[in-house]
Amino acid sequence: MNEFTNEPLAELRRESVRAALREGLAGLDARLPLQVPVIVAGARRTGGALRSDDPADPERTVAVAAQATEADVDAAVAAAAGARPEWGERPARERAEILGAAAQLMRERRAELTALIVREAGKPWVDADAEVCEAIDFIEYYRRLAVRLDEPPALIQPPGERNELRYVPRGVAAVIAPWNFPVSISTGMVTAGLASGNGVVYKPAEQTPGCALAITEVLHEAGVPPAALSLLPGGDGPGIALVAHPGVHTVAFTGSCAAGLAITKSAAELAPGQRHLKRVVAEMGGKNCVIVDSDADLDEVVPAVCRSAFGFAGQKCSAAARLLVHEAVADALAERLAGAVESLLTGPPERFGVDLGPLIDDESAERYDRYLVRGRSEGELLAVGAAPDGPGRFRPPAVVAGLPPTSSILSEEIFAPLLAFEVVPSVEAACEAVEGLRFALTGGLFSRNPETVAMVERRLPVGNLYVNRGITGAVVGRQPFGGNRLSGSGAKAGGPDYLMPFVEPRVVTENKLRHGLVV
Amino acid sequence: MAVAMREATSPDEAAVRRIGERLLEAMPPRARGPLGRAEERLMSRLAEEPETKAALFRLVDVAPMCRNAADLAAHLAALVGEVDDPPGTVGLAAGLGRSRVAAPFVGAVAERAVHAMAGRFIVGTDVDDAAGELRRLWRKGVAATVDLLGEATVTEAEADRYAQRCLDGLDSLAAQAKSWPADAVSLEDRHGPIPRVNLSVKVSALTPEIREEDPRRGADDARPRLRLLLERARALGAHLHVDMESLESRETVTALVREALAEPEFRDGPSAGVVLQAYLRDSPEQLEAWLEWAERVGRDPPLVIRLVKGAYWDHEVVEAAQAGWEAPVFTERAACDRNFEALTRRLLARADLVRPAIASHNVRSVAHAIAAAEAAGAADVLELQVLRGLGDDLQDALAGVGYRVRAYCPVGDLIAGMAYLVRRLLENTSNDSFLRLRATADDPEALLAPP
Repeated sequence: MNEFTNEPLAELRRESVRAALREGLAGLDARLPLQVPVIVAGARRTGGALRSDDPADPERTVAVAAQATEADVDAAVAAAAGARPEWGERPARERAEILGAAAQLMRERRAELTALIVREAGKPWVDADAEVCEAIDFIEYYRRLAVRLDEPPALIQPPGERNELRYVPRGVAAVIAPWNFPVSISTGMVTAGLASGNGVVYKPAEQTPGCALAITEVLHEAGVPPAALSLLPGGDGPGIALVAHPGVHTVAFTGSCAAGLAITKSAAELAPGQRHLKRVVAEMGGKNCVIVDSDADLDEVVPAVCRSAFGFAGQKCSAAARLLVHEAVADALAERLAGAVESLLTGPPERFGVDLGPLIDDESAERYDRYLVRGRSEGELLAVGAAPDGPGRFRPPAVVAGLPPTSSILSEEIFAPLLAFEVVPSVEAACEAVEGLRFALTGGLFSRNPETVAMVERRLPVGNLYVNRGITGAVVGRQPFGGNRLSGSGAKAGGPDYLMPFVEPRVVTENKLRHGLVV
Repeated sequence: MAVAMREATSPDEAAVRRIGERLLEAMPPRARGPLGRAEERLMSRLAEEPETKAALFRLVDVAPMCRNAADLAAHLAALVGEVDDPPGTVGLAAGLGRSRVAAPFVGAVAERAVHAMAGRFIVGTDVDDAAGELRRLWRKGVAATVDLLGEATVTEAEADRYAQRCLDGLDSLAAQAKSWPADAVSLEDRHGPIPRVNLSVKVSALTPEIREEDPRRGADDARPRLRLLLERARALGAHLHVDMESLESRETVTALVREALAEPEFRDGPSAGVVLQAYLRDSPEQLEAWLEWAERVGRDPPLVIRLVKGAYWDHEVVEAAQAGWEAPVFTERAACDRNFEALTRRLLARADLVRPAIASHNVRSVAHAIAAAEAAGAADVLELQVLRGLGDDLQDALAGVGYRVRAYCPVGDLIAGMAYLVRRLLENTSNDSFLRLRATADDPEALLAPP
């Protein structure tokens, strides 16, 4: 296997590349709505209980999905456990070859997958394209990692003793996936489970079943045995049942903090018949801060902050939510940022050049509205952009300033295009504010003094700190991604340790001494 | 090369050599390179010590944002602190920068040094401030194109302010130009008169809405402002040159300029120009597209095409590497130089349609352009261009021999000029640049060899 390299992004500055993407979207539209079945061990059951829409045009149905039941959960877990002989016991290298074929299929279907993200998640092209690349990267990265894990480092071998360490699949991995990276995060969690030899039961977000089906089909077509990967679309029900199921060994979850805590608690309960501890890989929320020092280059701060706070309408877990600005540059930055926010373009994500698409669902839009009202009453609106009227769930980018330190806008994850602007007397004071948070996912610093950079590096607890750039867009193998504190269990997606919760270590020691002779 | 170009025939190498030697002889012999000897030595040192060079560039970059001299000294100390073994003076200055007593002094010296360096490349804080220098250049036979440096444009208000600065700049330049002597610079070619006033503008300063995936958006937002400039330039009889920047804005710039210049209102004025970057591998196709456009639209005065190597090489290479793309630029200097010469000949072959302006500090490239123009019978149309502060010696030599030469003269304050200044310093200390080559090699034969 050759060395891992990141999948090249689409060169969107070239018209021919954009034309190919438009064509992919037209091809997808002609096939809508998609029918998403429950798939358990290859058996498909369709039935239109759930509907996903286009957040930019909710009248448009993107997918109609069947709703998985508790019986489906039982059957899927049993199938995943039963897949061990044909999947888990297969050499890692063979599994890796099958996953390599899946990555190749994704490359072939790249335009269609990108279009599906644009339609079902309302994500603008630039981000949708990067997401498909990330999905391919996850497959390519984890399949190599699994092969390496299959050849663990040698143990100390004194004369007369054979010592061997092996990592074996834990058994069944449950994947509870989010809607905001419906292709890449799902692909990452599912293939981490598969590459390390587990059977996987995949419960996608109810907002994006169409993307889930596309991923599942790619993996099955590439040769993943039907029993080793089941797809359980639905609401919270099947997810809750899955996490509580005694046959599940590892739960990989990405989503809200509240859901993550509930999963952690449920997974800690020993179910009747369960003979193991469950492990939970949890990626949860954030309240991500960007610190701007007095020596920062505002020419770079403004666009980077706009992209970080408002790209994909603020619906990335890594998105910037608070801007902590040194008082020496606060006025200048406030004016420039306000002007920049006002010139951002909110609109249908299928239009190239749009900065913000719609919010995913009514709940998100209402949450944004609520916090914006609160922001206006507790502080002042520094800037608000424009957004088209419905029916799409468009909301304008907004910046709120002058909030009291107790404001919930400074501590709660809003997951929408709302940024808090705060003036601080020093970078140290900004660090204190960050240290006081429950979350520790991403953080940013703009400073041109290496000593300041080193100081902030030492102090901030965040999982991913970005210096003099935007704070979103982690790339597999370059920025292993994941948060600390209540932002997550500390697993780093796209990093060298990610597969560990999916395997269990076993050590064998054999006495090679017989009658005083080493044999 | 993807496009078979109908070029002017290659000039005789002997002619290139003859012209090149004449230019080299006309250039000041002692202080080789654009900077004085002391600074030249410093630049040579820096080229050999990449860590110190990086530290000092980062200092220059941050200098305008430092709150006071002590803050600047602290930055100096911190930046040089990252260098393993800084050269004596630099290390000493950094050490003193940590002392509370010495820091303000060190900071003040560093500040003066940064200002002095900026002064080499920037002719004034604004157009009025630059009047004396522009007049001085003109009197010795050097025309100018003025570039108003500015911070990045991130808001509509900033774009409006930049457009207003350009309008005011055009007015001020037109007033200044009235007092410039008539015959110092040759301002007539086969196409007719060449404007005395010449302003270069950047589209990225005329709109905050450049998005590489949607060239329409930036072009539509910038158009009203560009139209204002075109109207004023036409009224004043000035030339407006639209610069090219990094590849992500090329489609925006191209679409904007083609649409605006093709408007019936601007069909016969003002004189306007664009830039062709020879480091781009697809530049031959770009040139053909411009020539087709010029033929189709039939503007008079003709389009000026400024041929440059391109100033965003590092940016293009790094960005492509990060995104996983093939670099859009030539990564080998000789290939780039060969392309530059091929594009020169192609431009000269169409001197009936466009005005070629060859911008280079490489004496070989310039000598080749002159020889090719003479061979093609296009010498009357040829204009040579240099950057203020980098091409001063060459500019003087060219003017002395009697060629039409124009200096690209940035105007602006230090904060605004910093990005420009850092790019120029990088260019001057790059081991690959002709300026370095000339500073280290004496042999005209090597300097003038075909790429």
